Amino acid sequence: MEVKETYNGKIREATIGLGDTAVTVGGETSLPLYMFEGAAPNKPVIALEVYDTKPEDWPEAAIAPYADVLDDPVKWALKCQDEYKADMICLNLASTNPSTGDRNGADIAPIVKAVADAIKIPLIVYGTANADKDAEVMPKAAEACQGKRALIGPVEEENYKTVAAAALGFDHLAAPHSPIDVNIAKQLNILITQLGLAPERVIIDPTTGALGYGLEYCYSVMERLRLAAMTQNDSMTQMPMINQIGREVWKAKEVKTSEADEPAWGDAETRGVLWEALTATALIMAGSNILVMRHPKAVELTRQFVAALTGATN
Amino acid sequence: MKTHKVTFYPDNRVAEVADGESVLTAAIAAEVHITATCGGDGDCGKCRVIVDDGAIVTKQTPKVSDEDAAKGYVLACLTSVTSDLKVLVPPETRLGIVPEETEEAVTYGKMMTAAEEAESLDAITLDPPVAQFFLTMTPPTLDDNASDTVRLTRALRQAGVDEPVIFKPAALKEAAVACRQEEWQVTATVRRDPEQALVTMLQPGDQTGRAVALAIDVGTTTVVGKLIDLDTKEAVAETSAYNRQISCGEDVISRIVYSQRPGGQARLRELVVDTINEALRRLLTAADMTQDNVVAVYAAGNTIMQHLLLGLNPKYLREEPYIPTATTFPWVRARELGLKLGPRTNLYPLPCVASYLGADIVAGIVAAGIPTSEKLSLYIDVGTNGEMVLGNNEYLVSCSCSAGPAFEGGGVKYGMRATFGAIEEVLVDPTTYEPTIKTVGGKRPIGICGSGLIDALAEMFEAGVIDAKGKINVDLPTDRTRIGPSGPEYALAAAGDNGADRDIVITEADIDNLLRAKAAVFAAVMVLLDSVSVSLQDVDRFYIAGSFGRHLDAARAITIGLLPDLPTDKFYYIGNGSLWGAHNSAISREKRAEIAATAARMTYLDLSTNNKFMDGYVAALFLPHTDATLFPSVKTGARA
Repeated sequence: MEVKETYNGKIREATIGLGDTAVTVGGETSLPLYMFEGAAPNKPVIALEVYDTKPEDWPEAAIAPYADVLDDPVKWALKCQDEYKADMICLNLASTNPSTGDRNGADIAPIVKAVADAIKIPLIVYGTANADKDAEVMPKAAEACQGKRALIGPVEEENYKTVAAAALGFDHLAAPHSPIDVNIAKQLNILITQLGLAPERVIIDPTTGALGYGLEYCYSVMERLRLAAMTQNDSMTQMPMINQIGREVWKAKEVKTSEADEPAWGDAETRGVLWEALTATALIMAGSNILVMRHPKAVELTRQFVAALTGATN
Repeated sequence: MKTHKVTFYPDNRVAEVADGESVLTAAIAAEVHITATCGGDGDCGKCRVIVDDGAIVTKQTPKVSDEDAAKGYVLACLTSVTSDLKVLVPPETRLGIVPEETEEAVTYGKMMTAAEEAESLDAITLDPPVAQFFLTMTPPTLDDNASDTVRLTRALRQAGVDEPVIFKPAALKEAAVACRQEEWQVTATVRRDPEQALVTMLQPGDQTGRAVALAIDVGTTTVVGKLIDLDTKEAVAETSAYNRQISCGEDVISRIVYSQRPGGQARLRELVVDTINEALRRLLTAADMTQDNVVAVYAAGNTIMQHLLLGLNPKYLREEPYIPTATTFPWVRARELGLKLGPRTNLYPLPCVASYLGADIVAGIVAAGIPTSEKLSLYIDVGTNGEMVLGNNEYLVSCSCSAGPAFEGGGVKYGMRATFGAIEEVLVDPTTYEPTIKTVGGKRPIGICGSGLIDALAEMFEAGVIDAKGKINVDLPTDRTRIGPSGPEYALAAAGDNGADRDIVITEADIDNLLRAKAAVFAAVMVLLDSVSVSLQDVDRFYIAGSFGRHLDAARAITIGLLPDLPTDKFYYIGNGSLWGAHNSAISREKRAEIAATAARMTYLDLSTNNKFMDGYVAALFLPHTDATLFPSVKTGARA
């Protein structure tokens, strides 16, 4: 006997970027990967991380693939696009963090513009999740990539009026970020859409935990968001989701520790790549639509996983 | 030990306290009641006083602005007495008097009227647990040589007392004379418990017709008392007063904390007994009676109040797993508790259910008729705690949640109780953002009370002054919204408006406290419904109890998502259900038994570790709620 569930809800489709290289995510009509019960017209996509300043605390394995471009965000972005075949670029404005670089919006605007102009694939621009600082920086960043229909994040409860308004004003999408809480995710979506941003221009950032660092909490919340979207037809949860995987995975102790320090743990690169790929694949099963990742080999493994899943059911 | 005299104005009362004691302690000693929501920890900033003359040591606190500090304002709890002092207690710090209840019509739902109360009294057969019987006996002879007590027992049997009759020693001692003085006509005072009838007093002749019982609702904030005529069933006098324990903290938790200080528990008992004695004095004066007329006392209160009144240590009520000493209590001698009543008068504490579900609620639901009705009712009493009961004649489930003091004006910068000068109604113009306010008694505004806060929140939300998260929009084209010393704020009254002598503002922190309070209450309601798998629509009757409920504008409370969005014809207000239950107990053994049976059959859900409650709480931290479908009548959406 075949038992199939029918769902009332549907995830909205959201398109990032313009023209031929625009990427559309979402559109699912079933729970994640339940392709026997509904359609998933758009595959999960992978964005590679680019930083506006040279990272200081990355383990060797993460540095190696980008060693020649870490000083130059434009070259870095192009390498991700051309060599590692990223679907999107996620530009992290780490240098605006008040406790490290504390650069302001005017300082980083030219970098955002240069990267946006250089790449063909869609752009995601992320601040440092410091609500006050992002409120100053993100409107400048949004302005600098005006006309690219980028994804601007994170939008926090404390700064949604400024950051989401900037996304609205400069014709981008917004990524509201909530602290692993279904209700707060929903509340932020209500507030942002009440501001005038169409729900089709909202991508939920539910907070990402790496494997061993809260992945299961993150998974549960995403699962609950999808259940609400599908079974309760809850409009304010029917948006695609984005997960910041790279930055979470590559700060884990199990990933950062070198083989010399822990010989029993084996090769550090393999360990990091697997850690990232495992986190990513778990989150795909939870319903993630945009995976922001770091290591090209982890990206490759994740792509194989996506192909296997979608190929097998085609 | 060095002591100093502290004189409080305008009351002109004096206390002598040891060097280094706090001004608040001195005020309590002088019986000057100072508002101290937090119980004297320096947290609430409510015990503002002005030291006029004398030397003090005071701690700096952000609760007193520099401007006020320059005028001499200090917090009484943070100020030590180091010389003789003159202290002025300003109006906002005084306890005030309980404004008289008005028969003002409610705008949403149905109020239980005086006529209906009288009608429900008519339906009760007079059969008091403590009653006086006028007995006529045949005198003994050599042939009929039964003892006095056998004769008395026979006469009581004829009067309908069928329980085994026991004589208290004091009654025995007076039997011989009492029987013979008026030729075998005596008045017996009998306490009728289910298992026995205790004769507590014997008086010669017919003394009936003057017996009254004292019914009291021992509230955390207010104590209300009634003298009940045990022949007519009706109240002959009623009065209310603030519970003097308020000086030791506004809510039950701070009272429990206070009780753990050296001498704290005894002090709290003394204060509530003083309050009851004062109420009793006023009642007896009003009814032109003496303490001898009072044959019994029936006290309903929450479990903490019952513990404190009876001298039981409440410590474990606030420690997991939250276990009270008892939920049913024996009769106790009123005089032993310190009540100014005759030595034979006993007090019956009405039964409770759990640490945070007390006799006040049990009494209230019986008064509302819920345990005997087929209709599904939801009963809610909101104060510093929200207590609620769902059920009918088949089942009763209950729970409670901490709402915090916001609804009673605590934890809010300019919050106050609903006494004269409290802003109780607010309108906000959606185009100019200008407020219109109404105060209790029409006096100049000195603060804002719970119902005013709810009004303000609903109006600010509807006018677009705050968003659904309660954040104030400081970019509006008005001076009313602004960044104040403690963040964004909205000015309900500027100094000068309606005679206000200071700006009265609502801050974002105040709004957060209110949101948390309303979210806890609503989440608890949803957990209760969910526990028996019924939806809001299945509820036939929605009862709102308590004085806060009485003054609440239900339509506004629905707008902010405090009360469920039910049609007006399902709303019923029953006023002081607790007092009503004590009144019923005083006149009817059957009602008293029904209250006891109800307490015994109520199921209590503890929410402290309930995941659904936590989830529902976060969902309710939004205006009106994250799930807008629960509030179809509330208009939401962006405003330009």
